[in-house]
Amino acid sequence: MRGKTIAALLLALSLLLALGAAGCGGDDDDGDGAATEQSEGVDEGAEPGGTFRTATDAFEWTGNFDPTGEYLATFFGLYQNLLGRTLMGYNHVPDAAGNEPVPDLAEAEPEISEDGLTYTFTIREGVMWGPPLDRQVTSQDVEYAFRRIATPALVAQYGFFYLGLIKGLQEYSDAGGLTEDPEGNEAIEGIQTPDERTIVFELEQPAGDFVNRIAMPAAGPVPEEVAQCFLTAGEYGRFVMSTGPYMVEGSENLDITSCDTMEALDGFNPNQRLILVRNPNYDPETDTTEARENFFDRFEMTLNTNAQDIFDQVRAGRLELAYASEPAEVVRDYSTDPELEDRYHINSGDRTWYITMNLTQPPFDDIHVRKAANWIMDKEGLRRAWGGEPKGLIAHHIVPDTMLNGVLEDFQPYASEGDAGNLEEAQNEMRQSKYDTDQDGICDAPQCKGVLHVTRTTEPWATMAPIIEESMAEIGIELNTRQFEDSYTIIQTVKREVPIASNAGWGKDYSDASTFMVLFDSRTILAEGNVNYSLVGLTPEQAQELGATGTIEGITSVDADIDACNELLDDERLECWADLDEKLMNEVVPWVPYLQGNADFVISDAVSKYVFDQSSGDPAWSHLAVDQDLQQ
Amino acid sequence: MSNAYASPRGEPLLDVRDLKVHFPTPDGVVKAVDGLSFSVRRGETFGIVGESGSGKSVTCLTALGLINRKSAHIEGEVLFKGRDLLTLPQDELRKVRGKELAMIFQDPFACLHPMYRVGDQLVEAVQIHDDMSKKAARERVVEMLSAVGIPRPRERVRDYPHQYSGGMRQRAMIAMALLHNPDVLIADEPTTALDVTVQAQILELIERIKGEFQIGVILITHDLGVVADVAQTVMVMYAGRAMELGGRNEVFERPLHPYTWGLLESIPRVMSKGELLLPIEGSPPSLINVPAGCPFHPRCPHRFGPCDEERPAFKDRGGGHPEACHLTAEDKRKLWVEREAGRTKVAV
Amino acid sequence: MGRYVIRRLLWTVLVVLLVTLLTFVVFYVMPPGNPAIRFAGKQPTPELIAQVEKQFGLDRSLPEQYAHFLRRLFLGDGTECPLYLRPACAIEPVEEFVVLETPGCATGVSGCGWPGLGMSFDSRTAVRQELIERTPRTLSLIVGAAVIWLLLGVSIGVLSALKRRTIWDRLAMGFALFGISAPVFWLGLVALWIFTVKLPFAESMGTGYVEFGTDPVGWFTHLILPWTVLALLYAAFYARMTRGNLIDTMGEDYIRTARAKGLPERRVIFKHGLRASLTPIVTMFGLDVALLVGGAVITETVFNIQGLGNYAVQSAVSADLPAMTGVVVIVAFAVAFMNLVVDIVYAYLDPRVRYS
Repeated sequence: MRGKTIAALLLALSLLLALGAAGCGGDDDDGDGAATEQSEGVDEGAEPGGTFRTATDAFEWTGNFDPTGEYLATFFGLYQNLLGRTLMGYNHVPDAAGNEPVPDLAEAEPEISEDGLTYTFTIREGVMWGPPLDRQVTSQDVEYAFRRIATPALVAQYGFFYLGLIKGLQEYSDAGGLTEDPEGNEAIEGIQTPDERTIVFELEQPAGDFVNRIAMPAAGPVPEEVAQCFLTAGEYGRFVMSTGPYMVEGSENLDITSCDTMEALDGFNPNQRLILVRNPNYDPETDTTEARENFFDRFEMTLNTNAQDIFDQVRAGRLELAYASEPAEVVRDYSTDPELEDRYHINSGDRTWYITMNLTQPPFDDIHVRKAANWIMDKEGLRRAWGGEPKGLIAHHIVPDTMLNGVLEDFQPYASEGDAGNLEEAQNEMRQSKYDTDQDGICDAPQCKGVLHVTRTTEPWATMAPIIEESMAEIGIELNTRQFEDSYTIIQTVKREVPIASNAGWGKDYSDASTFMVLFDSRTILAEGNVNYSLVGLTPEQAQELGATGTIEGITSVDADIDACNELLDDERLECWADLDEKLMNEVVPWVPYLQGNADFVISDAVSKYVFDQSSGDPAWSHLAVDQDLQQ
Repeated sequence: MSNAYASPRGEPLLDVRDLKVHFPTPDGVVKAVDGLSFSVRRGETFGIVGESGSGKSVTCLTALGLINRKSAHIEGEVLFKGRDLLTLPQDELRKVRGKELAMIFQDPFACLHPMYRVGDQLVEAVQIHDDMSKKAARERVVEMLSAVGIPRPRERVRDYPHQYSGGMRQRAMIAMALLHNPDVLIADEPTTALDVTVQAQILELIERIKGEFQIGVILITHDLGVVADVAQTVMVMYAGRAMELGGRNEVFERPLHPYTWGLLESIPRVMSKGELLLPIEGSPPSLINVPAGCPFHPRCPHRFGPCDEERPAFKDRGGGHPEACHLTAEDKRKLWVEREAGRTKVAV
Repeated sequence: MGRYVIRRLLWTVLVVLLVTLLTFVVFYVMPPGNPAIRFAGKQPTPELIAQVEKQFGLDRSLPEQYAHFLRRLFLGDGTECPLYLRPACAIEPVEEFVVLETPGCATGVSGCGWPGLGMSFDSRTAVRQELIERTPRTLSLIVGAAVIWLLLGVSIGVLSALKRRTIWDRLAMGFALFGISAPVFWLGLVALWIFTVKLPFAESMGTGYVEFGTDPVGWFTHLILPWTVLALLYAAFYARMTRGNLIDTMGEDYIRTARAKGLPERRVIFKHGLRASLTPIVTMFGLDVALLVGGAVITETVFNIQGLGNYAVQSAVSADLPAMTGVVVIVAFAVAFMNLVVDIVYAYLDPRVRYS
């Protein structure tokens, strides 16, 4: 009896060891080589026809597909490539060219008045609404979109880009918007439609990026005859009408005789699928092939909760593209296997991942500590946690290089060998800090211990946490990491006084650095939902109002710099933002930026043309083509 | 080894010859029954008396084939109406069991399936041996329940066991055993779990049935009082062996074994006030390590020379009925008289 | 018996209500921070947050919110429904304090209505509609798996009990150990890998749920793998339980009686033995099935079956409170109801337990 037990135990033990050994081997080595360059895309003789099939493991609609309420890239990319035309749009190509607004619904660039306060757009002839509307798009349709933005009940999540800028829009919103004015009869001072094809905007103050703001889906035309029935946030999303080359499947069946007769389009279910088919009323003559090529006949995006399965299906040719975050093994396979390499496409995502430090909370209320943090951080380690080189470039400053035309490419104020951290410099900084009482380069005051550090529960943040803790420990700062399901809400609440957080990332709203600098504008600071996590520019009065405690005196403000840059245009504007970025990294140091995140996508070999859309950071659906013979 | 004791009642129905039932276990061989011989005749109530572990139940279970032949080592013969039950194949044995040879057990509540109606369980017993329709079987069951004294049997047939009282359950078990008019009924402690008044009723019922149907009854009990009441023949068992076997009056008035003396002396007698209760010193032996020689010798106040070496043969030494003790019949008679006298003398 | 059932049904309703109160407290009272912020955009302004709060009913006091929840549950969603989701005017629209007074009833798709479970924060659709679509999927998964695990588990358990300590017993218990230890997601992924990546069954046995009405064969083939994976764990438990129970039962006195009657061994085992040993299994079975209603999360996720378990987790992660409470209501009801069913079945099986 006993002999048998011992034998069994030994067997079990040896099995365990064997499994352990197998599991330990083959850790992720970063794919050296091809997969770190910005992808050039694919172009292998695109033919029209076929169905483009993609799957995602989570639809992330912020407004249930209602253009007025959507603010994430997923929607922007789909809408502006396939479904809806906006006065100004993009060509959906990579790099700087992709970030340049071009006329879409409008015939040409707007006429701008001398004082920069009046913008006049002329709508092209022949752009039609898809079935069942079957009519020309008018300037009133565009105006209606702005009425919706100014309707609080519709929760326009990018509303602040327009309210307060376009004359009279804020007043319209204060009066309740369409809720109080369902027919849309109340005039809005800053929007005029002298005729069906002309629309004029009047601004409160000049805004160099107004054209970018116009190039967003919320500012695209909305048909009143349908949308008037849907005056609560998200409702219209199941009835979206098309002005683009494709429409939601089932659109032609919509019975628009009255609000009662309308049924949700079956091509779209917010939790399950989005199916688009060709819009018969779309006239390619009213568009350009630079912007849209419209190869496939049908587009399907479905939900698959098993992300691994999505990638397996792409590999097997049953899907054309995986719209999901790649697990590390997939990144490894596709970046090292020569056969798969050309199906893995990496482009700059115009986003920065960063660690934010709260200027009011010790020990980060001391600029030397913040600089030391930048010196010591093992950024390469953090990138490895993400999956290595394919995941992006190490970030050395606030705004992604692609948004500054590479002007700050060589600006590395806290450079270190292999980006693994520079202990010597870090200690030099620490010595100048009041929290290093014996000036040995290590933080030793009581405020250095038990410092709350907020992060997410998911990957790669969970893996990053110990790396961050280790780096900070080298300069004597002991972090108390806490992971939260809802980490954003935590750091967005000022009263919580979170000293340091690593859950955050920020992507552009459109390609202008102003959309990043808003994070350092003291006038945007709110008690809840605050995005100026570092509380740059916080005044003592504000602090009192918000119930913020800590070091609230003498916090540097960059509000004036932001305002100055905002008035400029073109190259001057760009230089201004670059200077502000430098100032922030040298004189304010609110962040430890670590990654300029890439947008990476895996495609199947049946994709005969692939292009990256810089404006949305997603595949350029309008240029993609599928080879039906290679599909499974 | 033939049975020296013969009863004038005729051919034996059940004849056990030198039965041995040994169970090999990791700790040793359990000798549950170690060389037992007896027989039972028609119209006879054969009482088997002994403490727990004496082998009385195992004997009967073996006879019925309810002991797993694979896990036990069985020797000897159990002749039932001429056939050796120990060598019968299982399917033949099944035809005998419940039909010609029936057994009832100690705890009637646990012995009936709690989830089926009493009537259905009895009908099942009928139909397994007789090719009858359900309706006919049911009639037979009602008849039988009535015969064993259950009131309103037609209604009670639909009840569940938990709706019967203790006495009624045992009656039902008896009814079930008698459905096919068996030749021998084995009753293993049939009254132990019942109240005293009910006990008497059940014993009376068994006797009545024995007389009416002229069957043989084996009554297994540890209660000498029960045996004194109804048995014609008594066999005293100890450590898997027979110590003494004889007519009831014989055994009670002229017991020929120190163990039997001990048993008789440890019964309180209602009529004798102030009589000392004399327990037997010590406790029953482990059946794995049965004492050498006479199994009772460690506890016997009269042990002498051969008792711890030589196993006493089971035979009539002149006392009138077979017993297994080295003492001579003469000595035994004297000792018994002394013990009886000493007992009453001590009375205060 | 009828009165007993009615009484138990009323208790069921009470239990479900208690559970909803608890859920309400856990999800609405306890979380730190304002749930409305998550749905108010990238840079939420105070106005947006206020608007979202109003639409979600979060600007009311908590007791008011709970009262509203109860009213909605018993009387229907009423005017909270968007126009296109309202059922034909069968129920009088209840006056709501949320949102606008949009007049009239619609003849459109009935997603809203009774019982009213509110609007999902995330997708702004009726939670009830989601649950209606998802429940048959989860039920398909559970019922199929339950049949398999019951048959498989009980047979293996019986075999094991009868052939105790032989090689069959050891194999069976080895299988049980495997089934209980192997994590469901691992089994699922391995199964998918074998059948859809290595073997050419990707089309018929791949992930995703096929509606029975559209393609009964597809419905079946796509469920084979999830059924098996889900059933394996339970089959293992049930095999062990059955084995243990049967071994115990076969030692009971009434089994000896059955043999003494002369019954063939097969009848003794299956009619007398099994019947008595199955009753605890019935109890377990009822509860296991009920808990799977919202609990088959891993299986549903791995096989992309968009059922209730999946929905529960998705809503929890995105702080979609009405969706979460909706799922909880269904699961609580399922559990309470199955409890009742199990009690009734048990009483039928074991007469000793009957109420009188």
